[in-house]
Amino acid sequence: MALINVAAREIHCKIVYYGPGMGGKTSNLQYIHSAVPKEVKGDLLSIATETERTLFFDFLPLDLGKVRGFQTRFHLYTVPGQVLYERTRVAVLNGADGVVFVADSQKHKLEENIKSLKELAQNVTKMNKNFREFPLVLQYNKADLPNRLPAQRLDDFLNPPALGLNWQRYEAVATRGDGVFDTLKAISRLVISRL
Amino acid sequence: MDPQLTSVIVPSAEVAQIEECLAHLVEDTQGNHALLLDKSGQVIASQGDSSRQDVTALGALIAGTFASSREVAKLLREKDFRMLFQQGVRENIFIALIEDQWILCIIFNKGTHIGLVKVLTKKATDELSAVLERVRQQHKTRDDVLGSSFRTSMEDTIDLLFRD
Repeated sequence: MALINVAAREIHCKIVYYGPGMGGKTSNLQYIHSAVPKEVKGDLLSIATETERTLFFDFLPLDLGKVRGFQTRFHLYTVPGQVLYERTRVAVLNGADGVVFVADSQKHKLEENIKSLKELAQNVTKMNKNFREFPLVLQYNKADLPNRLPAQRLDDFLNPPALGLNWQRYEAVATRGDGVFDTLKAISRLVISRL
Repeated sequence: MDPQLTSVIVPSAEVAQIEECLAHLVEDTQGNHALLLDKSGQVIASQGDSSRQDVTALGALIAGTFASSREVAKLLREKDFRMLFQQGVRENIFIALIEDQWILCIIFNKGTHIGLVKVLTKKATDELSAVLERVRQQHKTRDDVLGSSFRTSMEDTIDLLFRD
């Protein structure tokens, strides 16, 4: 949950990038880190395995400067996507104000996406939050690959109109930055609207 | 803590009391630094060595450690581990949970006995617990604190900074 420190005039919000393994969560943070102005970003901290897979989380603090007299900070985290780290994902998700679900658009990843989104719903519910009302933005990453599913097809499974959730969704190629800031803007606005 | 509550607003008076309590803890233990975090890793207050530049990252990592230990506790059918101790060659960290929602952390060097840290942290935890209960009980709304035009200004800032 967001923290408003009246004495220091600071606001802190936590945004978590969630999704299946190798989907591009870390790439999102790496691109943001490379592209935002120097005065906005802190160090990108990664707790990864020797093979560069996320073990615990990546962490990127962003300082948006003073807004109406309040120093506003967004803390971005990724979770480890590999199935084996479910408990770790719960730990990182703790206290999140909003989630970006990074789906892998490739055909053979559809099932993993669905499983991961279901797990997210369960974990948010375990935090005593209403998942239907929880700030969430979808990102369909790897939209440049030839074996990807079209966004409308992914919607049928991940954002079905029948559920009426109508999450905002963005197609992305995180490694080169396409759609990364659109996604970040969308989740930031959503989180701010719920402060 | 109301789990559906979206923001925690910590008023100035309470921040001052929290800082005073942390300063006492640092002084009495001859520690190097004390931090109060919420469980998501946000730093609410910090006292001690003012040259410390890495407080934000420290907050995120300590909260991560605690959240991870809570999951370990569950596997052992414990509710949680209330305290954690990490021992280094030069510095040690003692971490205590307050009311399931907040984390108190003290960094001290080998000149201070862990027993003293434990006793004084327990005292500080009790004091902070009362202050944090008042934080929980207060009913200021976001608009009371931030003003109603905050959201529009924030959206403008987001558009300005988050772009290629």
